[in-house]
Amino acid sequence: MKTLADLKKIREKAQKDMKLRNTGSRFKIVVGMGTSGIAMGAREVMKTFLDEISTRQLVDVIVSQTGEKGLSSMEPVVDVIEDGKEIITYGNMNPERVKKVVSEHIVNGQPVADFIISRD
Amino acid sequence: MQDLSLHLLDIIENSVRAGASLVKILIDVDEKKDTLIFKIIDNGSGMDPETLNNALNPFYTSKTSRKKKIGLGISLFKQITELCEGSLHVESELGKGTNLEATFKKSHIDRMPIGSLADTLIGSLIGHSETDFYLKITHNTLKQSFEYEFDTRLLKEELGDIPLTYPDVIQYIIEDVNNGIKNTKMGEI
Repeated sequence: MKTLADLKKIREKAQKDMKLRNTGSRFKIVVGMGTSGIAMGAREVMKTFLDEISTRQLVDVIVSQTGEKGLSSMEPVVDVIEDGKEIITYGNMNPERVKKVVSEHIVNGQPVADFIISRD
Repeated sequence: MQDLSLHLLDIIENSVRAGASLVKILIDVDEKKDTLIFKIIDNGSGMDPETLNNALNPFYTSKTSRKKKIGLGISLFKQITELCEGSLHVESELGKGTNLEATFKKSHIDRMPIGSLADTLIGSLIGHSETDFYLKITHNTLKQSFEYEFDTRLLKEELGDIPLTYPDVIQYIIEDVNNGIKNTKMGEI
């Protein structure tokens, strides 16, 4: 069972990390979590992003949930927002696709063209 | 939606979209009374009496930005409570917040399984880091009582400026919530 001492260690490690990097978040991931998104598997998509960020120790990525984006037929829908670049929206996401997006787009900087439904 | 924790997620999302700064999620299982109760209490924008009356109508939504004026979330939740001799009550006051209580007859053959409660809670706690969450699970079996609490206000206080999406913090939350659900025997419901 985790304790307050574990949290203190995490805080100290994170503070060192943040000092070293001296930058904010590079990527923001937004998972659509409206009723239709949830029914189509958005919760599993969100959980897979969290697992991947945690496992790969991606310290410059934040992930959040939002409501419906009016793209019900392509749910689950995910925006990947990189500092200074266009917003890329991925559709029909599932855990396997999430792993590919994390590996190719977030880690290696190459958006996954096959899953993109819009660019802003 | 094939499990109760997906419906719970939908209701939590409503609370966040209503601008709540604090969402309380109380889950109570009582084997003697044969009940499973979800309470979601928020301090969001609340609803006026007319909107509250309409909240249980599947052909209504309060989201003005929508072209499609249909909001299925609460009405679907009500329907599944009634399918298993339960009920859903919503109290709300404009500017103060909303209290929603869904009661199920636990042993009813038509009650959906609770599903992945952990994934619903973990995603909500981390995915809405601007909102505070208080979670309490109580499970009274015929022989024992189990309880689990998680409060993101205390976690944020300890973390200072470290975000909830920091990898080790994600891992901490995943482990804590999963252990809480395991120790309260909620995975078996």
